[in-house]
Formats: sequence, structure tokens, C-alpha cells
Amino acid sequence: MADYIYNSEAVENLGIKDTSILDRLVDYESARGAHMEKDRAHRDKRLSLKEAIAEYVNDGDIYTDSGFSYVRAANQALLEVARQGKKKLQMIGSPNSCVSYLMQAGCVDYAHVSYQGAEMRGYDRAVSRYIKEGRLTVLSDWSHGAMALGFKAAQIGSPGMFSKQLLGSDIVKYNPYVKVMDHPMKDVSDPVVFIPALYPDVTVIHVQHADMYGNARIYGPSVNDVAMAAAARKVIITAEEIVPESSFREENKGVAIPFLYVDAVVELPWGALPGSCPGYYFWSRQWWEKYFRFANLSDENFREFNEYWLLSCKDQFDFLEKLGGARFIAEARRQTRAAEGDNELDGVDMDYREWMPGMAPEDEQWF
Amino acid sequence: MDARHGTGRRTVVLGEEVTEMTDTKPANPLEILAFEIAKQIEDKMVVYVGTGLPMVAAILAKKTHAPNITLVYESGAQDPLLADMPWSVGGPFTWRKSPVILEMSYSFGQSYNGYVDIGFLGFAQIDIYGNINTHVVGGDYSSFKHRLTGSGGNNDLSSLTENMVLVGLQSPDKFVERVDFITSVGHLEGGDSRRQAGLVGKGPKAIISQIAVFDFEPETKRMRVKSLNPGISFELCQAATGFELLKPDGEIPVTEMPSQESLGILRKDVDPRGVFTSIPGM
Repeated sequence: MADYIYNSEAVENLGIKDTSILDRLVDYESARGAHMEKDRAHRDKRLSLKEAIAEYVNDGDIYTDSGFSYVRAANQALLEVARQGKKKLQMIGSPNSCVSYLMQAGCVDYAHVSYQGAEMRGYDRAVSRYIKEGRLTVLSDWSHGAMALGFKAAQIGSPGMFSKQLLGSDIVKYNPYVKVMDHPMKDVSDPVVFIPALYPDVTVIHVQHADMYGNARIYGPSVNDVAMAAAARKVIITAEEIVPESSFREENKGVAIPFLYVDAVVELPWGALPGSCPGYYFWSRQWWEKYFRFANLSDENFREFNEYWLLSCKDQFDFLEKLGGARFIAEARRQTRAAEGDNELDGVDMDYREWMPGMAPEDEQWF
Repeated sequence: MDARHGTGRRTVVLGEEVTEMTDTKPANPLEILAFEIAKQIEDKMVVYVGTGLPMVAAILAKKTHAPNITLVYESGAQDPLLADMPWSVGGPFTWRKSPVILEMSYSFGQSYNGYVDIGFLGFAQIDIYGNINTHVVGGDYSSFKHRLTGSGGNNDLSSLTENMVLVGLQSPDKFVERVDFITSVGHLEGGDSRRQAGLVGKGPKAIISQIAVFDFEPETKRMRVKSLNPGISFELCQAATGFELLKPDGEIPVTEMPSQESLGILRKDVDPRGVFTSIPGM
């Protein structure tokens, strides 16, 4: 029996039989309870990636991660989730690029979707196929901005936000959480949409710098990450580098996540691979090409891809070797620093790099 | 990728150097599209863009008639120093030396609060009132041929931005009487229905396809031909549309072609490797 009243048209349209499955995402009392129980001490929270995922990601969790598509997503943590064979995850995020790989790896049953694609590379054919075949159940449909407001409401401690997006669209007919109502302070009809605060179970956020207590600093777009860190019941930080706490006190400008949200800190250089980490490395251009043009097309293709990139890699260093090792390190660093304007751009190849079906392995070049 | 245009800056790859070529070929349909989009942008505007052709167009505008525009992106990136074309809105070319980088919710908040002048969106399907579908084609939400990306920021921009320009390829199955799913509201059911639904902003003001430019008839808000690209008749444009198009009064103008100077800048400085604006064989 559900504790909340959902948009009944959307519940019916999505074919959700038991709406109690929707509760945890908006259950602010249980999120508050989870936050109350966190150890407040400045203590060393460092764990290995294996330990952090084993301890803080449970089967059935509502899972989300950081960044924006290729940029600063917690991809190596995601691969570890797959390696540990977590099951029945409920994915959420905007953009929800984390859903595709874990879904194909058999870890995901449900998703709250806002965008399933990779920008210029188009829509995600695996997600499309899984939904069509009933292997992935959509629990709610969103726009980026509406979902972002749900996380933001949680961060600032509000039961929800009133907003002007979604109105008149069909998305409201496929989102059990949002409700169209009249502006409560106007005496003429002025529709607004209520978006409840959203509380994922676990978020994994990849950052450039963290200290051992969990203070974490982001360079580049922070997207929804600070809000999700504030909202989630459990927070894992993976960081390129662990810096002393004094670094945060001396340099206290910029976007930071406070230590008190954080349950585990993982020192994880190259933790965003095959995505990029601003200041450190550019994304592997051809890996994403092959994922979208090969691994997404059939179960068989994914098995082959997954065998190479996940099952035969025990950690991010094995993965890095397959991308080209030291040569990848040099190229990816050169590319991001040039693109960000810190190093000379002239002379650096930033081209779109295609992967063609039937391409010989020796012609594949990942950076 | 087709490297027919040469390059604005040298690209040194493992000792190779791409040499510059002069190119006086006439504009292809994608280049015309980019030029038409760019014309919608006035100097000093704040412009909300995604990747792809609208980005090409915004950079073309900035390098020609609108040097003082500010670009904003849904990732929270804004106001970068221009360099190469970004192909992710989170990537470094959207925040290269930006004075400030915001978050996603703040960036859409800028649209709602009246800090954004114009936004550009693509579509898989568009209807007679400029409503957009990027969710499903060939059926409905639960039974479809293809499930596409979903909204992303499409609905947010459409709902909140003062002026919208919609950009996409035209064919009878893309320009349809009613979209299979309303991802983003344009003029909804025409007339005043957009405002009555509670949305802010004026709704779409132009649609730009590879064969024509459209606006909306002011009262009914139905799609109307504004200009036809060279060599395109009204009948051909109608045949590429799944509903009855309105015509403007009098003779239908021909879409203005990019000048050689604009084409030169587009090919040399904006999209030098033709990633977004080249068509194989053209």
C-alpha cells in the first residue's frame, strides 16, 4: 500500500500495478532518517572501490551518478557495480547516461527517464529495445529541468517546487510524481506544476579533489551533483586525487560538496574513464562510438563488448591499458588542457572520431 | 569525416598536416540551414543552444553579424571563449575560460526569469502548431516503433524561453498533423492555448528545414510558409508536409542565400572539417 497519492492518469498509462514502488524516491522522512543516522565525525572515510560499492550499493537501490554524459560521470564505479552483479536497480539522473550500460549488464529493472541518448550520436538503441521488449520498466518520464528541480528541492530542504515546464505536454501523463495545479496566490487560472523533492538511495559522484573526510571539489559544470549529494541517502565520492583538508580551507571558493553528506571516499584516478574529467583527461572518442554503434545493437554485441571492457579488466588501470596506456594518458591530457584553454589548441586534434562496423581491431584508436 | 573544407587552424596529427583549400562551391542545404538559423540571432542576444547545427549557426552568427552574443547551455556552462565546435554540451568547449559556470537547474531558471532571448531545438516530429515530439515514433508511448531520446532539455526550453526556433529535416512523416507524443509544447492547439496552459514565452516563431522557412499565422498559430529555398516550389514543399500548409499573402519569397563571405567563414572558421555541414558527394 503506497504512502503517497500519485498522478493516477500516469500510473495507469505506465501500467504500474503497485504504486508503493514509487514511494522511496519521494519519501523525505526516510531520507531524513538516513541522514540523521550518519556519523558526523571528521573521520577517514577512505575505502577501496570494491569495498565502497559492496557496502553502499544494495540490490533494488535507486541509483544515480554525476556529471553530464561524457563528462565527469562516475563510470568506473558503475563498471564495478556491474562486476559485483547488483540487481534490480532503479536508475535516475539527468542525463541518465548511467542506465544504458548497467541495464545491459543485467543490473537494472526500472528507470526514471529524462534523456536516453548521447547528444550528436542520437538516441540510445539499447534502452529503446529494452523498453520495447519489456526488459526495462519506465516508472516516470521527465524533462532535464523538471528532474533537476526535484533534486534542487531536496537540497534546499523543500517538499517540492512549483514550476512552469511540462505544462500542456504529454510528459505529465507519464509521470506519476508531478501534479498540475493552479498558482495558489492568483485569482485567475494560472497553471503550475508541482515537482516533489527527489531522494535517490545512492549517488556516486566523481570529482577532481576530495579529502579523506569527504569534502569534495568539482571543476567544470557541476550539473545536479551537489543537489544529488545533499538528497541521496548514501553518497560515494570517487576522486582523481585525495588532498589534505587544509586545501579546502585555503582555497574555499568554487563548487564543493560538504563532508557530512559523504559515506565513502575512494581514491580513483581515471575514475571517469572512458568519459572525461575536466583538468585531467578528455574522453575516449572512439569507445563511445563503438558503444553506440556496436554494443547497443544486440545482446550478442554487448556480451562481446562487455567481455573485453569489463570482465577482462579488474580495475581502471586494466581499462586504461586497453585504451592505449601511456599514449592514451598523454593524448587525453593534451586534449582536455587544450580544449579548456590552459594549453595551446593549435596543433591538437579534437576531431569527431568515427567507429565503423567491421573496423579491424588494429585500426581502432581509442583516444 | 569529409575534410573537403580544409581547416581554419592547423591540425597536426602525428606529423601530418592538413593543408588549406579554397572552396567556391555553392551552398549545400545544410549550409543554407545554418545560415538561416544564424539570421535569427541578433547581436547582444543571450542564446540557448544544444549541439549540432544550431551550435554551428550560433558560432557563425558570433563570427559575423552578432559578435556580442552570450551562449548558454543546459549543463550549466555559459559564456565560453569560442574555439572548436563542442559535441557535448558538458564538454570543455562550452565552458572554456567561462567567468562563471552554473548548475542545470539555474540554467533553465535563467530562461524562466527572462534572461534568455532565443533558444533552438531539434525534433523528430513536428505538427501544425509547432508542437515537438522527441519521445516515440510509430505508435504511442507504450507501443512504438522507436523510442527516441525523450525530452532532455527540449521541454524546458520550449516551455520557458521567450523565442524559440525549431530546426529539423522536413518530410511528410516528420511534419505531421498531430505528433505521436507532445514532448514540448509549441502553440499547443493554436490561438491562445499555449498561454492558457500556463506556459511562458511566445512559443516558436520560426521553423527552419532543409527546403523552406516557416512562421506561424498570428491568430490561429498554424504553420505558414515564410520563404522557399531556391528551386523549391510551394507544391513540392506541400508534398513534403503531412498537413495543409498556409501560404503568405502575395508571392512567396525565396530564402536568402549565404554570401560568399559567410560561406567562407562557415567553411574555414566554424565547421572546418564539415562535421555538421557537409553532405557526402556535394
